[in-house]
This record gives sequence, structure tokens and C-alpha cells, in this order.
Amino acid sequence: MVKLAAKCILAGDPTVGKTALAQIFRSDGTHFQKSYTLTTGVDLVVKTVPVPDTGDSVELFIFDSAGKELFSEMLDKLWESPNVLCLVYDVTSEQSFTNCGKWLEKARAQAPGGSLPGVLVGNKTDLASRRAVDSAEARAWALGQGLECFETSVKEMENCEAPFHCLAKQFYHLYREKVDVFHTLV
Amino acid sequence: MRKVDLCLSSEGSEVILATSSDEKHPPENLIDGNPETFWTTTGMFPQEFIICFHKHVRIERLTVQSYFVRTLKIEKSTSKEPVDFEQWIEKDLVHTEGQLQNEEMVVRDGSATYLRFIIISAFDHFASVHSISAEGIVISNLS
Repeated sequence: MVKLAAKCILAGDPTVGKTALAQIFRSDGTHFQKSYTLTTGVDLVVKTVPVPDTGDSVELFIFDSAGKELFSEMLDKLWESPNVLCLVYDVTSEQSFTNCGKWLEKARAQAPGGSLPGVLVGNKTDLASRRAVDSAEARAWALGQGLECFETSVKEMENCEAPFHCLAKQFYHLYREKVDVFHTLV
Repeated sequence: MRKVDLCLSSEGSEVILATSSDEKHPPENLIDGNPETFWTTTGMFPQEFIICFHKHVRIERLTVQSYFVRTLKIEKSTSKEPVDFEQWIEKDLVHTEGQLQNEEMVVRDGSATYLRFIIISAFDHFASVHSISAEGIVISNLS
């Protein structure tokens, strides 16, 4: 049995729902934050996710940092050596989707060994009439970037666990790969 | 006096703390004298482990075999209990693709009862340590 620990950074434009997503995950879907508060600095959410079909688990340390700080030096410090990335956009905002490229680039620049498992999450699917980002378009981009793709509605509490379970699984597979490498060294 | 590998569990040494543990790659692997077995870190740095000699020893040469370790700090204590560690060695290792990092250090002021190894950072998400050995002499038993 092994319990891994992963630093998960939560990235994306302000108001896409990063904090709401992290909080609903933390509270097992019992808590939707109705009023918006701008995150300043960083919030930390810690939660253990079991890896299916193994006795193993991954403890996610989710660093929820302010979305307005794309260009701040503060973020460089908070994002040091990330293990996995949760990249969030708002399906009603074309701009928040376009900016994902910049967030991804910034996160990858900090990743140890140059690899960073990640997921792309399109949030606010409940606002169907205002949708501005096509699912297929997002999926194609995510695929090209090696990211797994999800759509969620934090408000309706739909699919909010899946991205984090996927991150835990990806990190676990990365660990298994590295252990295989360690075996070949002698 | 006979020079031995002071770290070996067969000489009575013991790993008394490790911040990571995979049942399949436990910290005992650090001091079993076999570089084929290893201890892995399981995510996020720093990570550390402490070796207890159960004796007063004087170390002359220290060898660390590892993979993906970037910055390594080693502290030592001469107390009976694992307290009062003092900074001893700090090294930036070089990544050696596909083969073990083999770091040999001729050391000064090597009297110790405990060694504390802190992996400050790594070249990847995980690092492994395959063997720790310390050549030197036993000064006295702990009374």
C-alpha cells in the first residue's frame, strides 16, 4: 500500500469557479458557495482520493490561488514544483477558454522533469443558453495538449469529483512509471 | 581498528524515520547493502529520513546512491536521542540519465550517532535512494 502526495495547482481566469470547484470537492458536494469572493493569496484544500482497484491513494494538496495574478511574481512562488494541474474555464466565456493556453504554459514552466499531468475543466454548464465555448472545440484543444477533458456545473453539483479523481489516477500512473525506471538502474 | 560500513542494518544500524513509505519500497532498503532495492519518495519535497547507528561512530567517507535527487542536505547528531541535529553537508547533485547517481564524499568532523538526510528538491516528481553507506570506525557504544 502507498499513499502518494500531490501538489495540485488550480489555474484559470478570475470568476470561472476555481474556488467553488475546490470547495465543493472538499465538502463532498454539500457546499455551493453562492456569493462570489475574490481569492487573494492562496487557499489550500487537502483531500485523499482512493485509486480504484488498488489499496493505494493520493492525497491532493490543492493550491487555489488568485486568478487575477497571471503575471504576478507571487504566483511563481506559490506554483513552485507542481505535480498536477487543474485548468478551469467558464463555458460562457470565450476569453477564459482562450487564456487557458497562457495558464498552461505558465504551469508547465514550473513542472519538475518537464511533465505535468493535467485536466481541462469547462465549468458553468448550467448556463446552457449563454454557452460560448463548444465542447468539441475544447476537447480537441485538450487532446492536443495531452490534457483530459471534463465539463462541470458546480452550481448543479454535476461531475465535480471526476476531474480530481482523474488527476489522482494520472499521478499514480506517473509514480508507477518512475518506479519501473528505478528498477532498471542497477 | 576495523573499518566497516557503519550504515548497514547488519551492523546494527536502523532507519528510525522516513517521511515517505511505499510498502514495496520501504526505508529499510536504504541500508540493506543491496543497491538493487531502494526507497522512493511518494510526492512533494522536501523528504527526509534518519539513520540511527546505536553507537558513537566516526565517518570518514560517505556514499549515496540515488536517482533524480537534486539538492541533498545532511545533518548529524552526536546525542543519545535524535535531537540537536547540526548542518553538516549540502550538495547539488547532477542528473545522470539512465544510471544511478553515485555521490562519494570524503568527510571531515564525522563523529555521529544519527544522520539526517533531507532531499530538498529533485529532478522529477519522485526520487529514489538505493544505498547509503558510511565508511569509518566505531568509537564507543551508547551507554
